[in-house]
Amino acid sequence: MQNDLQNYENPRDESRRDFLKQSSLLSAIALTPGAIRRAAENKWDEKIADEMGKVPLSLEVNGVPYNLKIDPRVTLLDLLREQLHLTGSKKGCDRGQCGACTVHADGARINSCLSLAVTNDGKKITTIEGLSRGDELHPMQEAFIKHDGFQCGYCTSGQIMSAVALVKEGRTQCAEQISEFMSGNICRCGAYSNIVKAIQEVKNQQS
Amino acid sequence: MNPFIYTRPADTGAAIKSLSRGNQAFFLAGGTNLVDMMKMGVVVPEKIVDINRLPLRNIEAVQSGLRLGALATNSEVADHPDVLKNYPLLSLAINAGASPQLRNMATVGGNLLQRTRCPYFFDLTMPCNKRAPGSGCGALAGFNRMHALFGASDKCIAVNPSDMSVALAALDAVVHVRGAGGDREIKFEDFHRLPGDEPQLDNTLAKGELIMAVDLPPSAFTKHVHYLKVRDRSSYAFALISVAVALDLDKDNNIKDVRLAMGGVAHKPWRLRASEDFLKGRSATEDNFKQAAQIAMQGAKAYQYNQFKLKLAPNTILQALKTASGQV
Amino acid sequence: MDKSLIGDPLSRVDGRLKVTGGAKYSGEWELPGLAYGVLVPATITNGSVVSMDVKAAERAPGVLAVITPFNTPGVPGFKPDASQPVRGLKLFNDKLIYFNGQPIALVVAESFEKATHAASLVKASYQQDVFETDFDKNRDKGVVPQGGKYKDYVRGEADAYKKAPVVIEQEYRQPSEMHNPMELHVTIAAWDGDDKVTVYTKSQGVIGTQRSIANAFGLKPENVQVNSRFVGGAFGSSLRTWPHEIASVMAAKLLKRPVKLTLTREQMFTLVGHRPLTIQKIGLGATSDGKLVGITHESISQTAVYEEFTEGSVNVSRFLYESPNANTRYKVIPLNVGVPAPMRGPGEATGSFALESALDELAFALKMDPIELRLKNYTERDPERNLPWSSKYLKECYTRGAERIGWENRPSKPGTLREGEWLAGYGIGCGAFGAFRGRALAKVRMMADGTVNIQSATSDIGPGTGTAMTLIASDLLGVPAGRITFELGNSSFPTAPTQGGSSTVSSVGSAVHDACMAFKQKMYALAGMPENSSDPIDYVAVLKQHNLPFFELTEESQSSQQAKNYSMYSFSAHFAKVHVHPLTGAVKVKRLIAVVDAGRIVSYKTASSQMIGGAVGGIGMALTEEAIFDHKYGRYVNGNFADYHVPVNADIQDIEAIFIDKPDPYINPIGTKGIGEISLIGVAAAIANAVFNATGKRVRELPITPDKLI
Ligand SMILES: Cc1cc2nc3c(=O)[nH]c(=O)nc-3n(C[C@H](O)[C@H](O)[C@H](O)COP(=O)(O)OP(=O)(O)OC[C@H]3O[C@@H](n4cnc5c(N)ncnc54)[C@H](O)[C@@H]3O)c2cc1C
Ligand code: FES
Ligand code: FES
Repeated sequence: MQNDLQNYENPRDESRRDFLKQSSLLSAIALTPGAIRRAAENKWDEKIADEMGKVPLSLEVNGVPYNLKIDPRVTLLDLLREQLHLTGSKKGCDRGQCGACTVHADGARINSCLSLAVTNDGKKITTIEGLSRGDELHPMQEAFIKHDGFQCGYCTSGQIMSAVALVKEGRTQCAEQISEFMSGNICRCGAYSNIVKAIQEVKNQQS
Repeated sequence: MNPFIYTRPADTGAAIKSLSRGNQAFFLAGGTNLVDMMKMGVVVPEKIVDINRLPLRNIEAVQSGLRLGALATNSEVADHPDVLKNYPLLSLAINAGASPQLRNMATVGGNLLQRTRCPYFFDLTMPCNKRAPGSGCGALAGFNRMHALFGASDKCIAVNPSDMSVALAALDAVVHVRGAGGDREIKFEDFHRLPGDEPQLDNTLAKGELIMAVDLPPSAFTKHVHYLKVRDRSSYAFALISVAVALDLDKDNNIKDVRLAMGGVAHKPWRLRASEDFLKGRSATEDNFKQAAQIAMQGAKAYQYNQFKLKLAPNTILQALKTASGQV
Repeated sequence: MDKSLIGDPLSRVDGRLKVTGGAKYSGEWELPGLAYGVLVPATITNGSVVSMDVKAAERAPGVLAVITPFNTPGVPGFKPDASQPVRGLKLFNDKLIYFNGQPIALVVAESFEKATHAASLVKASYQQDVFETDFDKNRDKGVVPQGGKYKDYVRGEADAYKKAPVVIEQEYRQPSEMHNPMELHVTIAAWDGDDKVTVYTKSQGVIGTQRSIANAFGLKPENVQVNSRFVGGAFGSSLRTWPHEIASVMAAKLLKRPVKLTLTREQMFTLVGHRPLTIQKIGLGATSDGKLVGITHESISQTAVYEEFTEGSVNVSRFLYESPNANTRYKVIPLNVGVPAPMRGPGEATGSFALESALDELAFALKMDPIELRLKNYTERDPERNLPWSSKYLKECYTRGAERIGWENRPSKPGTLREGEWLAGYGIGCGAFGAFRGRALAKVRMMADGTVNIQSATSDIGPGTGTAMTLIASDLLGVPAGRITFELGNSSFPTAPTQGGSSTVSSVGSAVHDACMAFKQKMYALAGMPENSSDPIDYVAVLKQHNLPFFELTEESQSSQQAKNYSMYSFSAHFAKVHVHPLTGAVKVKRLIAVVDAGRIVSYKTASSQMIGGAVGGIGMALTEEAIFDHKYGRYVNGNFADYHVPVNADIQDIEAIFIDKPDPYINPIGTKGIGEISLIGVAAAIANAVFNATGKRVRELPITPDKLI
């Protein structure tokens, strides 16, 4: 039986010889837009302007101190992901609408996508990468694995950072309260009930 | 996001000065609204004045009641023992808004000044008199499901999205501001304004004025309070209708005093004075609640997609009153 | 197959990586010299770009290139005479605009911030033509899609329902819904010389992407490496190669630098598909004792003006219930919108909402229990193909679900059950989705220490493919799961189909099965034992004895001839209990029981999660999800994650998955049928029917928001 969804990508059959024929077309393409040339010419000015616009920033991420100079437009999330290569914190919306970027700033859970990195000067940031102690996972990480609190895993860092904070905040009286106070973390895979179970387990371990 | 100059003044004086010097200069508090708008190009600051280091984060008892520093976060206010004890309505309202993460970032001052969530306001390609005065109101004949029932104008039918402000309106809060010309106080009901011909102005703050604190007067509403927010999903969504209720009941279930305010229905938190007047001195019965809810709807005007609010609003008032008085 | 291991609650094999932030998704690869691409969307809805002013953008700091229709280097596969022309929208290939948000420029810069800012400086002037985004206004413009697949279907007599003693004729509306996976769609492209490119992209099928990109750029497929090891959800949005993926490969070639192009959440509303707005008319005719005499299902869906999209929303009415007469009609309306794409339970989710709602209306009209009505019209053979089912345990689904939810508490008169201040009600909705098996290859390699590595170019968008495959291999080889690694998401691995249509375990699982069986036979042979022996074997000793550092083999596997004699479907019955607030119209799904006949369940733990996740998607479809257009401008007014509401944690209460767990004897050697789609199909109807039972209000337009119930 035929599965429509699998043939959806390449509905037609193709033959390899045809590609080869086509590749000669590539040599016909040799365009260079003016922007590239100009960017090269102007590089010097640009670098000065760039440096002038940068702002110093000292912060600690997962216990590691950083002294940086950055473009003030950079959000904490983009600083983590693109410059410090801590890609555990995720970007799902970039507008505070999903919670995938949740990290702790001085212990409080925040959406790092709406926080300009420079405003975190002097702060201690904890990301998912800083939660475990070496090989030893944080109990919340263990509980997420045990209760299968995720599927694709993309919301998971945010969920776990949120959940760790939630337990600290003491918002774990009942499933309903956990759900309400975990509602800033969207999971499109729909792992919510398992997430609640994982949190309950950690809470019970602690009490 | 466009490039901007970033400054971090050391004291309020410097902050106010720094702001007044920039044409497109903005205070940055939690950033949850401002940074979002900057990303969308809704505001294009030349200068950002980061006020997060100013000493405005305290929550403290003062002679006139409880003072909430402008930089106290929404979570800090909602969880503060004095708030929980004496102003539980405020705590309920704050926790009905946004998400825990956002409430950890959002501040008292920023929450008061957050701008409408009207989709036409956020979309640069569509008309919006609030964003681009004179461009027209996209919502008027457009998708206006979330829009106002009261006090709108033909220039703007947007609503104020703040939940916290609905409670502050009910609690008769006072806003303390400081500008180049000195300090002043603004009664909460006078703080936000109706759109009229100048929908670009959300409030009565003068340019360059800094919110210092919000004061809550002593309150008797410690027990029979409720904040009911009806929305399109159970949490993390803006209100279709929200109602803040505070009742002071005597032992015979008569209403000594009452405060009622509604969110999601106007350009400002909508205090229901006429309903309050009706209820004062009457007994807390479902029948009286129903009448109060009907009174609240006088003058309501709906648009193509928010007709349902004409029914949802009184229903929500009724349900909130019933819950606050312990009748459900 | 031995059940001892299969079905064990093995935790996800990639769990540790996912909970520590160590799992690398496509946008997270660190490449030296990485540049950032940002798309500039058109702000008109139909017409063409007349001129563009890109000077400010080009001069903005850090900008490397601004690619537009006026300077595009082009893509070989865009040429009309290309042997495999690129399908769908060809970015920057011409100046035509088909929908609002269609990219008109790609800005590449040294940083994300710089690219984003420069993108905001691009100006365009347009020639605007009249556009159509309004489905309702254009309802009479529906056309029968091209190709024979969607032509009208008639069994017996068309529209026979009209003559029956009891008639239901109703229309149901399902708005456009967005896949909205959590991960933003992203592609990193890096060329190695002129004829080799490596692409890290969000893909449900690395082989499909490899072929598409090879086609587009005239490359040998083996010169295109596609990597998509972790996929942050997709639900159908990554079944094909999208224009922005081609664009990033184009930009990387032009700049001779790796380019990362990430869509914004807002852009994902127009550029990576959606479940199309569909209006369906159902006609049901029955005898007074509930025997169906006619089913008519008409469906009309939106598609794009520049590419036709179709799905089988009417199909379910042809086979799910016994009826001597059944006919379906399917049309599409081309509009100025981004092209739709299959979304979880494509077609069937839409169709079953209509059919299962109508059936509930019929049960009410007949004063009959909805389950009884379904039993009365139960099919023991596929009436559409006139073939026996390969397996069907839907009756068991009814019974077990009814028992679990407490169906006996369902009030026969709607609006009569109160629980506290809430109105309570129960509903059922069923679904079916074809069970497929595609051709797949798997490579098994055992090292001298006895550890096993298996590779196949399949994907894991969340269901736990690696976990299921590990369980299958562990069971067959008798090697503990902890000593097996399964690798996927890389086009250099043996070919596997795209992850879609709930068929991964069936297809790839079979390949793993066959490869492991062949492996075992070879090892027995090496050990001098009979090939089909079932005696224990010491692999490590065998390898040592033959002085082999490792032993590997690749096996291809596909459907048998015999399977063609059967009609193969997964079936589900969803039971919902809801509360509705009489004053505020709030709906709470108090309980949802999903009972599914999906053959053998290989990995119980991940399968449960997948079922529950599908139910959450179904709750979204039922209660919260709708993409809304302003037809004056042709733009979405809720194209973001705050205003397009997917369910949040507080929307979810008690959801339970129950598996019949009986192997299908024909589909594949494992006996598994697939659950990804079926987990969602039928949920919306179950909830809508429960809302009717609670309130007496029949909502035929999704989503069921508070305003529709007060
Ligand atoms: C996804 C999402 C969902 C949300 N949901 C809700 C909801 O349901 N209910 C709700 O009520 N809110 C909601 N919010 C809004 C949120 O509450 C506001 O964004 C927040 O309160 C703003 O506070 P802030 O400190 O972050 O303000 P900022 O973003 O820092 O500032 C907002 C404005 O106030 C000005 N400003 C800040 N402080 C001062 C001061 N002291 N004096 C003078 N000017 C000042 C700034 O210049 C800026 O113009 C939501 C936000 C998001 C992103
Ligand atoms: S990425 Fe920050 S909330 Fe979505
Ligand atoms: S696990 Fe995929 S979004 Fe939560």
